[in-house]
Amino acid sequence: MGGTERRGPQIAAGAFCGSVTGGLLAVLMVFDDVSSVSLLPVGTPSVQIALHLVVAAAIGAVFGWISPRTDRAHAALTSSGLIIGLLWWVIGPLTFVPIIRGDGTMWSLVQATPVFSTLIASLLHGSATGLCFAVVGGPRILPWSVPTASRGVGIDENGDQVGDDEAQPAEPTRVVIVGGGFGGVAVAQRLEALALDGSGIDVTLVSDRNFLLFTPMLAEVAGSSVEQQHISAPLRAACPRTRFVRGRATDIDVEARLVRVAEAPRGEVCYDHLVVALGSVPDDRDVPGVADHCFSLKTLDDATRLRNHVISMMERADVETDGAERRSLLTFVVAGGGFAGTEMVAELCDLAHSALRHYPSVPIDELRFVLVHSRDRILPEIGAELADYALDKLHARGIETVLGTHVDGVTPTSLTLDAGTEIATRTVVWTAGNQPNALVTALGCELGDRGAVVTDATLAVTGLDRVWALGDCAQVPDSEGGRCPPTAQHATRQGTTVADNILAVEQGRDPSPFSFSSLGTLVALGHRTAVAEIRGRRFSGILAWFMWRTIYLFKLPTLEKKARVVVDWTVDLLFPRDIVLTTDSPQRDLGDEPERDDDHTARPATTTAGENGA
Amino acid sequence: MNARSGGDADVASSPPPDGDGAGADVACDSDMMSEAVGPGALAGIVGGAAFGAAMIDLGSLETIASLARSESVVVGFVIHFVIAIAIGVGFGLLVRFQRPGVGETLFWGMAYGAVWWFVGAVTLLPLLSGEPLAWSVDAARSLVPSLIGHLVYGAFTALGFVVFDRRSRHRVVSAHPTIGSVSRGAIAGLFGGITLALILDAQPGRPTVSSAMTTTDRPLTGAVTVLVGVVAGIGFALLHPNAIAGSGPALVRGMVYGFLAWIVLAVTVVPLASGDGLTWTVDDLRDGFATLPGYLLFIGAVPALVYQWLTSLTRAVASDRHAGGDQEGVGTQGLRAIFGGAAAGIVGGTVFSIVIVRTGDLPGIASMVAVDSPTVGLVLHLVTSVSIGVGYGVFFVKRSNDVSSALGWGISYGVFWWLMGSLTLLPVLAGGSPQWNVEASSEAFPSLVGHLAYGAFLGMVFYRLEARYDPWWVSRNAAEERRARRAADQLAGSAPALWVLTVLFAVVIPILLAPA
Repeated sequence: MGGTERRGPQIAAGAFCGSVTGGLLAVLMVFDDVSSVSLLPVGTPSVQIALHLVVAAAIGAVFGWISPRTDRAHAALTSSGLIIGLLWWVIGPLTFVPIIRGDGTMWSLVQATPVFSTLIASLLHGSATGLCFAVVGGPRILPWSVPTASRGVGIDENGDQVGDDEAQPAEPTRVVIVGGGFGGVAVAQRLEALALDGSGIDVTLVSDRNFLLFTPMLAEVAGSSVEQQHISAPLRAACPRTRFVRGRATDIDVEARLVRVAEAPRGEVCYDHLVVALGSVPDDRDVPGVADHCFSLKTLDDATRLRNHVISMMERADVETDGAERRSLLTFVVAGGGFAGTEMVAELCDLAHSALRHYPSVPIDELRFVLVHSRDRILPEIGAELADYALDKLHARGIETVLGTHVDGVTPTSLTLDAGTEIATRTVVWTAGNQPNALVTALGCELGDRGAVVTDATLAVTGLDRVWALGDCAQVPDSEGGRCPPTAQHATRQGTTVADNILAVEQGRDPSPFSFSSLGTLVALGHRTAVAEIRGRRFSGILAWFMWRTIYLFKLPTLEKKARVVVDWTVDLLFPRDIVLTTDSPQRDLGDEPERDDDHTARPATTTAGENGA
Repeated sequence: MNARSGGDADVASSPPPDGDGAGADVACDSDMMSEAVGPGALAGIVGGAAFGAAMIDLGSLETIASLARSESVVVGFVIHFVIAIAIGVGFGLLVRFQRPGVGETLFWGMAYGAVWWFVGAVTLLPLLSGEPLAWSVDAARSLVPSLIGHLVYGAFTALGFVVFDRRSRHRVVSAHPTIGSVSRGAIAGLFGGITLALILDAQPGRPTVSSAMTTTDRPLTGAVTVLVGVVAGIGFALLHPNAIAGSGPALVRGMVYGFLAWIVLAVTVVPLASGDGLTWTVDDLRDGFATLPGYLLFIGAVPALVYQWLTSLTRAVASDRHAGGDQEGVGTQGLRAIFGGAAAGIVGGTVFSIVIVRTGDLPGIASMVAVDSPTVGLVLHLVTSVSIGVGYGVFFVKRSNDVSSALGWGISYGVFWWLMGSLTLLPVLAGGSPQWNVEASSEAFPSLVGHLAYGAFLGMVFYRLEARYDPWWVSRNAAEERRARRAADQLAGSAPALWVLTVLFAVVIPILLAPA
């Protein structure tokens, strides 16, 4: 297996060539003045000769470090060496040497002319070093190289590759990432970056979705302020150098070191390192009716379905003559007062009020929004002061909150609280809990709370060799003895650590423990208002809203999606929200049977903002 | 409409990986003798004949004969040919792994000749003659005719190698000049020629395209300039029927081509046609220097760029063929190139500003907006650096696949802007005319150093930024590799030779031709 960075040999080869050619150049000093030939004409002649040899080796080492990654390119390497020689002439004899002498730089032609001989020396040394490097085979010891026509590989008339197959790179280390959420993508992107330095790692990403869903903006899709496709970046674009297999992982065999994926060649993907980033799925917490009658907010489908449902309720309410029934249609309940639930209820409020002008028969005072939360205050992840501010803002906009209350059950037409209160509604959004993807049980390793994979501080799965886990599906210890929260922020940083640790293992080094403290939290409250806590500093109002949009825009993957979301937001500032129903089929009521995955346990990997935001 | 039915057949036909070289089969080690040594030796004879003829005119064969302790011209001629053949073999060995084709090999030949001037004429010949190295400026100036001769030798050796190169006959996809490509070359050359004629006409003393031209008749000199432009444009199209991959490489290639055109037309063909003999001495070249920047910019670089764009436009309009498999779209790729180029431009401009501050040129830059404030000058400099950096990003997107190529393109781009900026636009914007003379170029030498530093940092930073989001040269499989190779095989083309020639004529020529 390759898998390790090997710059040393080519730097050594470059230094060797630089020394040899520098030595040959030094022979010319017999025929001329030493300072005319020396690459660093400072000091006495003997010092100049010594410095000359040292600099010659150093230039060669630099050349070896940056030399083109192409085999059989004698002419190209000679040319590159000559350019390095020219640069040295500018850096050395024209700049450093006079500075060392206390004369200042010699950048004018009058000053440069007397040291013309050192230009010739530099050019000859550089080009000869390049040629030597090509002859001794410096590029061939590179860990990877771009096969060019100069390697004897060409394209025939059919567009097929022809030519020799010698000098094939060493078999790379196979890293398989299961799950295309924030964590999995972060691993792939980091490994891609490391591959630039010749890490020799082959990365395969397995996900049943071909896009990375930017979950922090999911509520905006449900609120119709952003197009659904714009918050999801194609994985192939987000990780352009990673092999991608679109398919559902059905089993993991840690003994045989393979992942079973029906859509993959031969139905399986073999690995040397496995990264488990399966994310989480909604947890109904065994509350009756939740699984059948609630909307979740984990996928693009969820958001789009919810948006269509809300608009559909408005359509029906506009023609509904029965007052109680109409109020039921216009009552929207969100269960769970974390990030996702708070942002969702605010977005629903914005959507309904923005659309109201199109529904003349809907009385504004019959619109009702309720946020139910089991704790004493919403947004437990941020400080009480900010949470109170958020609560006030929600109240000011007419959103009711029911705190310290659990949901007891959900029926097609109502929601029951544990206090016995019943709310007549056709819309309940469930954001009150997540659980790790059930596929992690296939690992056969130790599982922690709610079935999360237990890892050590380096993110290695306890008891398994070269298996790593991160994100929502993992129980990762933090540096303070607690557990890392399952946020996208943490998943992304964990991904970087996992990639670095994989490389460390391949290079025989010890993996590093994961350490990260949250940068802060941002919660959008709709109506150009938000709250934020960044590095202990608190922000609220329109400034926080602006920060929310700016920060998340920068975090949104791919430039194209950023541009599209900016356009969406601009349109949203100037025009009312779109109320086009994107499906012709009637929207289901709570009483209808919801669409569900056949295999709930194998739900797609989604690193979620969920209760925790990004 | 199928791929070959619309408009220019050459445009619609399969484009080669880079330039006109095509997807080529190249030599193997086992074929070294037949594919490198033999053709190289024959090519050396061709190059030696051309250089030898020039040496007869210059009367320098006696110097060669001194190697055998003789003063006989015949002995000198024989030694010259032996050396020419030996060096020709070296050329064959060196370029046997490069992509064949006249458009690529020609520039390799020139670069090879230039290197051999340093190795042979300046170093080995004096040593073998028992004299000290000719590494001083004065000694090197006396060898300037030899430098031109070596460039001519290299060019002819390259042409000979192309003729005798077996690989050229086995090219799978060939590219041949067509009426369409020649027409585009003529149009591009016409544009460059007219521009150059207007600039030369506005210059003090109204220089002509060659110092050997003695006529002062304005319509005639203008017509000759335009004619030179058209001829050079057609020549470029003949060398590169399919245009170059990318505007940036086209710009650099055109600049070097302009240098070749200057040597061939301004200091060789026109003087010979005028009966003046070769004008290759330092004094002759100083007289002709007034047109060198014009050749580089408006006979070479700008027409090459126009030719590139015309070819791309024609290809876009007339061809149904998909351009390639790695197009991100103008929006994504363009925005990245702009942002990356701007960031790299800031870094390069900051480094450059060290030179400008030391030389005290900031007020001169500020004079473009009619003030003399150094602060304004610094701001203008940085703004210009960013703008030129954006240009680099757009022109050279996906052209660097390692630090070495990043340095090559960046430095070449810096040299272009030294010519276009310091010697041409800056004087014009300051209310004067282009400063195309040895005195001005000598004074602008610190600016050249700054441009080299700017280009080096520009190229490296842009490469690093590009590597962060799209390391296009890292491929996962053979299919992707084939797509990436379109740009990645620039090292198999003549790109490195272009970098060498660019820095050589930018650094060495001003020093050699500076007023004594």
